[in-house]
Amino acid sequence: MGFDAQLQMTGGVAKITLTGSLDAASAPLFREVIERAAAQRAGKLVLFLENLDFLASAGLQVLIFAKRTLGVNVDIYAIGGQGPVLGTLEMSGFHHSIYIQDSFADA
Amino acid sequence: MEPLSLPAKLDSLEEIGKYVVRATTEAKLATKAAYGLRLAVDEIATNIVTHGYQEAGRCGEVTVSAALTDSSLTVVLEDGGLPFDPLSHPLPGEEYLSLPLEDRPIGGLGIFLVLKGVDAFRYERDRDQNRNIFVMNRTPDLPA
Repeated sequence: MGFDAQLQMTGGVAKITLTGSLDAASAPLFREVIERAAAQRAGKLVLFLENLDFLASAGLQVLIFAKRTLGVNVDIYAIGGQGPVLGTLEMSGFHHSIYIQDSFADA
Repeated sequence: MEPLSLPAKLDSLEEIGKYVVRATTEAKLATKAAYGLRLAVDEIATNIVTHGYQEAGRCGEVTVSAALTDSSLTVVLEDGGLPFDPLSHPLPGEEYLSLPLEDRPIGGLGIFLVLKGVDAFRYERDRDQNRNIFVMNRTPDLPA
């Protein structure tokens, strides 16, 4: 299963591609990547979830951490998530705070 | 399936997840049900490792087992960590779930996801063992 989080900064937009299984064992790696994005003053956070096949509450906690760390004015996007992963986000009410979309176009 | 005993460490979550995936595949659970069970077991296993062992300064094992009948798949996690009844903790309500992320306290969603993901969940304490029991109903194949 494994996990990977690749950060790409483009014009103040932090794009993170998540792959594999995001649980309590892998959440610290995701948190480190969020901290790197914050250090580079990301003005927008875009998470590509197409290849994320598992999301546990530890991953949701990192999203809360991201919102607090990046700032309430930094929008978070979740792009291309699989059904069960999106189901977890929506069941937990995260769709009220995160833009869930099929694709992302740079503004 | 043969029970699997692993060190009570977060690194064991992956093997526990693979075990549950094998069990759900054997049980031919629908994708959503299989995912819900894997998520529920992962959440409780995380609590066991984190609260039952690591924060208590303990070392030990967690054992996962699965039993299949015509009508259900039952997965059991057993551990010798601190007593911890997941059902004794309050669940987040609609008010919490509609809060913006920045206003939410960290934590509190794990048990909520457990109860949302399975058809039945029980906790038992037997001498020095915690036993967390997850039950999924098997839906009979519908005629074509």
